[in-house]
Amino acid sequence: MNNLVYLIPLFPLAGFLINGLFRKSLNKPLIGIIGSGAILASFVVSLVLFFQVKSNGALPVEALFSFINVHDFKIDFAFQVDQLSSIFLLIITGIGFLIHVYSTSYMHDEPTEHFGRYFAYLNLFVFSMLLLVMGANFVIMFIGWEGVGLCSYLLIGFWFKNNNYNYAAKKAFVMNRIGDLGFLLAVFWLLAKVGTVNYHDVFTAESLAKLTPTDITAITLLLFVGAAGKSAQIPLYTWLPDAMAGPTPVSALIHAATMVTAGIYMIARSNVLYSLAHVTQNVIAIIGIATALLAATIALKQNDIKKVLAYSTVSQLGYMFLGLGVGAYTGAVFHVMTHAFFKALLFLGAGSVIHAAGGEQDIRKMGGLKKYMPYTHLTFLVGCIAIAGMPPFSGFFSKDEILAAAYARSPILWGLGVLGAAMTAFYMFRLYATTFLGSFRGTHDQEHHLHESPAAMTIPLVVLAFLSVIGGAVGVPEALHGHHELHHFLSPVLTTEVAPELGHSTEYGLMAVSVVLALAALLFALNKFSKKPELGEPTGFGKVLANKWYIDELYDAVIVNPLLKFADFLKNVVEKSGIDGIVNGVGRFVQYLSRQLRLLQSGQVGNYILFMVLSIVVLFLVFWNQAIILQFLQKVF
Amino acid sequence: MNAIILSAVWGVIMMFSSILFKNKGAFKYIAAIGLIVLTVANIANTYGCDFFNINTHEMLRYTRFGLFFNTIAFLCTLIYVLLSGKEIEKHGNYVAEYYALIFFVLCGVSILTSFNNLLMLFLGIEILSIPLYILTGSDKRNLKGNEAALKYFLMGSFSTGLMLMGIALIYGGTGSFQIDVVRSATLFGTFSGISFLEVAGLLFMLVAMAFKVSAAPFHFWTPDVYDGAPTVFTSFMATVVKAAAFIAFIKLFEVRIADTSAVINWGMLLSLLIIATLLIGNITAVFQQSVKRMLAYSSIAQAGFMLFAVFSLNDFAKEGLILYAVAYSLATIGSFAILAKMKDITFEGFNGLAKSHPVLAATNTIFLLSLAGIPLTAGFFAKYYMLASVVKTGHYLWLVILGVLFAAVSVYYYFRVIQAMYFKEGDAQAEDVTPGFKIGLIIVAALIILVGIYPQVVLNWLYF
Repeated sequence: MNNLVYLIPLFPLAGFLINGLFRKSLNKPLIGIIGSGAILASFVVSLVLFFQVKSNGALPVEALFSFINVHDFKIDFAFQVDQLSSIFLLIITGIGFLIHVYSTSYMHDEPTEHFGRYFAYLNLFVFSMLLLVMGANFVIMFIGWEGVGLCSYLLIGFWFKNNNYNYAAKKAFVMNRIGDLGFLLAVFWLLAKVGTVNYHDVFTAESLAKLTPTDITAITLLLFVGAAGKSAQIPLYTWLPDAMAGPTPVSALIHAATMVTAGIYMIARSNVLYSLAHVTQNVIAIIGIATALLAATIALKQNDIKKVLAYSTVSQLGYMFLGLGVGAYTGAVFHVMTHAFFKALLFLGAGSVIHAAGGEQDIRKMGGLKKYMPYTHLTFLVGCIAIAGMPPFSGFFSKDEILAAAYARSPILWGLGVLGAAMTAFYMFRLYATTFLGSFRGTHDQEHHLHESPAAMTIPLVVLAFLSVIGGAVGVPEALHGHHELHHFLSPVLTTEVAPELGHSTEYGLMAVSVVLALAALLFALNKFSKKPELGEPTGFGKVLANKWYIDELYDAVIVNPLLKFADFLKNVVEKSGIDGIVNGVGRFVQYLSRQLRLLQSGQVGNYILFMVLSIVVLFLVFWNQAIILQFLQKVF
Repeated sequence: MNAIILSAVWGVIMMFSSILFKNKGAFKYIAAIGLIVLTVANIANTYGCDFFNINTHEMLRYTRFGLFFNTIAFLCTLIYVLLSGKEIEKHGNYVAEYYALIFFVLCGVSILTSFNNLLMLFLGIEILSIPLYILTGSDKRNLKGNEAALKYFLMGSFSTGLMLMGIALIYGGTGSFQIDVVRSATLFGTFSGISFLEVAGLLFMLVAMAFKVSAAPFHFWTPDVYDGAPTVFTSFMATVVKAAAFIAFIKLFEVRIADTSAVINWGMLLSLLIIATLLIGNITAVFQQSVKRMLAYSSIAQAGFMLFAVFSLNDFAKEGLILYAVAYSLATIGSFAILAKMKDITFEGFNGLAKSHPVLAATNTIFLLSLAGIPLTAGFFAKYYMLASVVKTGHYLWLVILGVLFAAVSVYYYFRVIQAMYFKEGDAQAEDVTPGFKIGLIIVAALIILVGIYPQVVLNWLYF
């Protein structure tokens, strides 16, 4: 029965190979069926495994083959399905399937060849993502980690004829690579100290005893650098908004629901280590809340529908890291799940809007779409409410769990978190109101073109909307007379932070404050933007926000440009006059020597004999005085 | 004894065949038959079947090493005759006599590979050299050839004088010409114990042998003679003859004290010779404008590499020398065979050869790569064994580094030819290239690559 484990990544891999190799000969419906079918198959298997895990606990580690085998150092290509990975499996394959279905319609205008390429990449992405969460050691995780990075690169630059998109893809890749370096160093550090990378062996008391507190802090910090790269945290977050260059379903799948949560998965997976590293936890919490606030402020002033969602994603990821930092691992994973529902929903909804508006992404040129696109409108609204944290929608439960844990650690963290939540409600409803309410502000042609999207797109929206509404049910806190099933389910793999238990009355209070604030922000935004949307260019402080705090410009000035200048210097000065100079100099010297030595060959036999006789004399002298010469040479050198 | 007697006899047969046959083309085949007979007889000898059991009073001694080299020399000559026979026919009317001289040279080679007595060494060297003087001047109407022959003869005589002087001194020191006696005298003596006469004699012998293998600074004859002689005979001189001289060199100098801790150390002298040879050979080759002259200097450079074997004198060195003989002879014979067909033997003359004669260009590329010591060709392992032999001795490691650096320089002038053939525009012209010639070249190239991949194919014969 456990052989089923192999099937999960096998289906997407097969789909990738078929669609990738035969993309020119298959037709579009077939490509769509193969691509989506592969993920559906994986989803079904994941579901079966999930129930096994639920009833019997984690499945044993399944080693496929020996991946690296040197002397007594051994790394297996092994899969591990336990509580944590089974949750992620369901999210990846489930939402992945919906997005694949959605894509068959969304990408329909692409030529068949590129349509096939798109699905091949998408399947490859799912395959890599599955490797990432199923790997039984850090090395397999890293393979998946790199694989999703590659697919992200390929899909951001899917329309590779646009150079800006290629630039965005490159930026994403480079930023991720910076994080990867941290990840790699952490793995090597672990190997050096513990001698193994298997989760099962690393997270034992015996292995942990081999690590000094400094080791643990360093390893966890380095892992966090990796996570910050993949999950778009300060200071490596700038690639994610640019990644919106890719097709919208890609943004939904990779840059909202799955890949960007890989960092959270990794830290949750290593929670045993993190619980021992309080310095790192504080760093993570601070960076998390800072990212959440920074991204939220930027989202306030964005006018591109996908950019708003992108910054909102960064902000929500910040919340998850806040959760990890304060030890609410379950809360973070919970938020990953609910966020995957509503953010995928929002992105797909945005895709639907863009699709209808003929590729327009500027919300200032939209408005009043409510009447043209009823399904999209309604589902989008559900997503907005969920992300704003209104009870009983899913976002409320997961966000509140994190905020409650933050309060237990420090009320300041909580306060900042609530501020961010209010901003979230504000900018999401600004987006909603500007897009769907009021009257249409685009051209007449565009208005004529407006239509509801086909069923292949609306059905996933409806399913996701449904999940966004009820998704919170698995994590209802005890304060609200729930059982928090997710918490119980995950408890074997996630250490429970011994946090000071908050009284129920405190929890009620906290919930009330955050909900009321968010509701106030929501209503304010709704009221403000449905009647009079902001159409002009922002001024004053708004301009700073619209320009994303000029972070990109800062990076350019501080890092990118100096690097380029340095590269220029190496290329034009060091290489041209230095290296080339040496190489050519040696060549010229040899030629010069050759010209001079040639003259020895005078053609006169008399000269030759003279040279030979002189040489013989020298040889005799050297031979008889070699002891002296040797001494001399030894003195000199 | 088979090889020595049969080669002399076949030389005589070749001389008389010119009376019997009027067709020039026939001699090539008679020579080829003779070489096959020689090879077979020599292999028989290797496995204990000596047709002529003559008591030489230990003046000659047959070893596996020497006899195996004979086989290589005969086979290389066979390839040479088959590839370049047409060219030999072009030089005057005495074709049969040229072949006869070649057989006499082989007789000298056979003596050199089996001498156990200094007189035999001298005899072998002279039997080897005198036919070469004649072959160098075989093109009677060519002033350059005449000049080269005269120079060769003059300087050769000078070196003969040195060698005789050396032998005389050694005789004075030890009272014997037998190698064994000389060896024990030098082995067990100390610096003060060894007579001055003997060491001076060995030094003279060293100089004379250095002359024969064209090691600097006794190389001066080489460029002039190789350049002046008809290309086809240069090819023979530069390969079989030179390799044989090296075999004699290494056999002779097994005499010297191999133990580097002894007071008398030849390492310094030999390393001086090696440096000078590598330097002059490689560096001077860089500037040459004629491919023939470049190959002459390159043969000096290759001699510098083969000197490593004389320097280190271990099993690696002996194996390596055999390998070097094979690799270097095959590549040089092939390269000279192509050169002999070229209308213009400067670098410009090779421009665009890849377009007009792709097979010639491709095989020539393999020959040159092998000479440069690029992996997957025989030349790589040849050089590798040479350098490894020095590493094995554990001393003078800087010589190895120097060797590698000079090998890098050599790439420059070998690749100039490849560059001319493939990357330059021009209409290189080669004369009467027959399909048989091309097939021969391809076979030689294939052999080079075979040995380059699997050198044991050659080396196993040393032992089995």
